[in-house]
Amino acid sequence: MTIKTKKTGTAMVKPRRLSLGRKHTLEVLIFLSPWIIGTCVFFLNAIISSVRLSFSNIAQLKGFVMEWAGLENYEYILAYDINFMPIFMTVVKDTLINTPLTLVFSLIIALLINKPMFGRGFFRTCFFIPVLLGTGYVMQQLLQIDAMGTVGVGIVLPPVLRGLLGNTIATVVQSFLDRITLILWQSGVQIILFLAGLQGISPTLYEAAKVDGATQWEMFWKITLPMISPIILLNFVYTMVTYFTSSDNELVGYVLDQVFVNQEFGRGAAMGWVYFGFVFLLCGIIFGAIKISSRSRDK
Amino acid sequence: MKLNGKVRQTGISHSRPRWSFNSLAAASIYQRIIVRVFYYLVLCSLAFVFLYPFLTMVITSLMSDADLINITVKWIPNEVKWSNYKIAAQQLSYKRYFFNSLLIAGLSTVGHVLSCAFVGYGFARYKFKLSGPLFAVVILSMLVPVQTIIFPLYIQYSKMGWLDSYKPLIVPTFFGYGLNGAFFIFVFRQFFKGLPKEMEEAARIDGCGPLRTFFRIMLPMSKSSILVTTVLSFVWHWNDYFEPNIYIRTPGKRVLPSMLPSLYALLNSEDAMELVMEDGGFTFNNAMLMAGTFLVVLPVLIVYSIVQKQFMEGVERSGIAGM
Repeated sequence: MTIKTKKTGTAMVKPRRLSLGRKHTLEVLIFLSPWIIGTCVFFLNAIISSVRLSFSNIAQLKGFVMEWAGLENYEYILAYDINFMPIFMTVVKDTLINTPLTLVFSLIIALLINKPMFGRGFFRTCFFIPVLLGTGYVMQQLLQIDAMGTVGVGIVLPPVLRGLLGNTIATVVQSFLDRITLILWQSGVQIILFLAGLQGISPTLYEAAKVDGATQWEMFWKITLPMISPIILLNFVYTMVTYFTSSDNELVGYVLDQVFVNQEFGRGAAMGWVYFGFVFLLCGIIFGAIKISSRSRDK
Repeated sequence: MKLNGKVRQTGISHSRPRWSFNSLAAASIYQRIIVRVFYYLVLCSLAFVFLYPFLTMVITSLMSDADLINITVKWIPNEVKWSNYKIAAQQLSYKRYFFNSLLIAGLSTVGHVLSCAFVGYGFARYKFKLSGPLFAVVILSMLVPVQTIIFPLYIQYSKMGWLDSYKPLIVPTFFGYGLNGAFFIFVFRQFFKGLPKEMEEAARIDGCGPLRTFFRIMLPMSKSSILVTTVLSFVWHWNDYFEPNIYIRTPGKRVLPSMLPSLYALLNSEDAMELVMEDGGFTFNNAMLMAGTFLVVLPVLIVYSIVQKQFMEGVERSGIAGM
């Protein structure tokens, strides 16, 4: 009796397992199919032709006949184009300064409005308003008005302080404040994401730490920061990409000019990829750093 | 979810005392008050910096010519001039472009919610060999900005005959692409990952297929993520003018934000003088520009003010934190 059932049991299990596996693959395919189609049609295709374009010259504009040119385009933009490198370096410098500042400020603000307090809803809406105004023309026009001095810049150094500091230092401080203003205006989404992250940390962790006599300062470094490190990464990527695509990014304007005005398609594509390489490298470094730090924590 | 909410609530009530610095726990009540006042001062000044562009816009848009010239008038105009809005709306052909924008932003938002929830669920629930690398591609598509690949896309759409229509803007959103599509896939994946599996398993045992499980059980449960995606996708699409400007050539098909530059150009040109003359006298353009700008973002502001509370709660519950 027992032997019989065992036999039939194994005989039945085998094909079922296979079909389960197949079912699983089928389900995966169903759920990912929109995205896979999208990737093939709207992403991979464009990526591949953009890469190919960066290694080619346009032999004939009509019908878009490409001609293999090797590294010519890259050589040109890196060695001969007198505009590209300076613009690229400014953008690199700006990114390296602005991104950490954005992250730090949005984290501070998120920490400030994370706790229950009077007027929480109001403050949260305030910090989200620049997102609603958009990064496009709207914001640009508002900034331009500021630049024209008709209304004054966001944070203005009080005249008294200006007198105390002397003109040179005051100008430096003022330009720093201007930068901060701009950064703050562009950090709405980051603040929201940090808030979400902070809300996701279990309060029991803080309670346990408090029982053990940890100070606020220690709790921030030992609990808050490690717990939101994924959000830091996400925010980092988001900040880079928004800056990358923002209309006041000189380099993007220059690349688009190359493509749509000068019709230097290959060079434009090459510039795009040089810039992307830089962004990708930065993200890789941050990603690696977070991974290593979390690994060392686990040990 | 319910349990989660409860834990958080108790957490909040517990966290009340640890709200100033630890060293101040034993400090006198005066010191505490000082810290609190300082805290609100910092918050209010930060809030002011954030509100500043918005306030400037609203106030300037209502100013009359005399107020604009007058330097002493900065915050409170002597007379409120509503006619700025009337002229700006006329010049923008507001009604027509409003519906263009609404169509694009609305459909794209629907596309994002549907496709990103669907795909995000697939990434959250199914583990297979390629799930890691495929998700890396999602992240990569978030990193590659549209500007880098806009030209091949343009060529592709022209071959497909999609140029000068809304298809290049709307169709990709139904496939998890479009404006920040990868970001939304990420949001949904994080959310579904945080949900307990028991619900689905119970449904499966009762004979519910995977698609039905998703649409009947999982999707209704992800209200908070849907709301977050809806708001952000709508706002981003509404404000975007880069892609519409590239794909759409017929002036009548344009979107609202891309009409702003032409408004600026118009107001800076000679014609502006005549236009303004009709209204009576010489004017600075700023007021009208700001009125136009405000009109463009107004729908977004209205939408946000309606869902503001739920949106914030949605962000907090979306579980982006738990990777």
